[in-house]
Amino acid sequence: MADRSDVDLLVDLLAREQRLVAAYEAALRRDAIDESLGATLLAHERRHVAAVEQTLAGRGNPTATVPSPELTAALGDRHSFGRYAIQLENETVGAYADHVPRLRDPKLRQPLGSIMVCGGAHVVALKDFAGIPLVD
Amino acid sequence: MAAHVTRREALGGAAAALVLASCGGGDPPPASGPRPGSGIALLGSLLALERASVAAYGACLGVLTGDARTEVDAVRAQERSHAAALEKAIQELGGTPPPGRSRAEYERTFPVLRTGADALRFAQDLEERQVRAYLEAVTDFPALELRLTAAGICADEATHLGAMRVLRGLPAAEAPFVTGAL
Repeated sequence: MADRSDVDLLVDLLAREQRLVAAYEAALRRDAIDESLGATLLAHERRHVAAVEQTLAGRGNPTATVPSPELTAALGDRHSFGRYAIQLENETVGAYADHVPRLRDPKLRQPLGSIMVCGGAHVVALKDFAGIPLVD
Repeated sequence: MAAHVTRREALGGAAAALVLASCGGGDPPPASGPRPGSGIALLGSLLALERASVAAYGACLGVLTGDARTEVDAVRAQERSHAAALEKAIQELGGTPPPGRSRAEYERTFPVLRTGADALRFAQDLEERQVRAYLEAVTDFPALELRLTAAGICADEATHLGAMRVLRGLPAAEAPFVTGAL
């Protein structure tokens, strides 16, 4: 893990952000998330995708994401999607916490860290909507 | 999505940030050990901030009730574990953690907290400062292990910041990039 290149790390983060975009788009289409919350989270994730893509600047070879079986199953109702989204956001925050410190270019760490912080806030927003404690 | 912040709130936040800056800045540096450039001075600064945070949350608990009190108590427990992790990191570098201050000494530097709203605004200021400090640490620490520690704590602080905003009736995240900048 320690010797992954910056491009490898960024490509992984981009794929995770694209999964979040796909999840919120699908949830909004299927009414599986509150419209206002979903629109806000989707707008943020699209900005994250754009930022990571810009950072990659054509150096990587991002892979297309396809809907996962877990997402399809979670779209049945808002409760299921909320749990799914919290897990997906948590996993993404964990990936940032692992990847950002490993980036060799120190100038990339703070801006990408600011995306991680936003992800943490998304987890809180989803928990608040689900009515579960905000801090574990 | 952008929160409405009055001039008074903004000034209050800036004042609290200054108070917190003084909490960490007055603590003595680690007394012994590792070479300059190892990151130990930065660890000492972060530890001072965490200890001030634990004391600050203790003060907040005095005026909070209900769910907000429960959430802030959970945050304080995590700040304690952060402080312990930073003490361990200092020791692993061969240093001695600075002694810190008494709770009364910290509390003399805090703003007066008369209501739950005062406490939550103070807590949000505190979390913004911590997010900013850990994002800088992720950039500045020379060793990967220290950067990983800082990033892990920063992820917790992100949750705390979002929680304090929600408890204040604000959106958890007001923008796609959250730096803790005031």
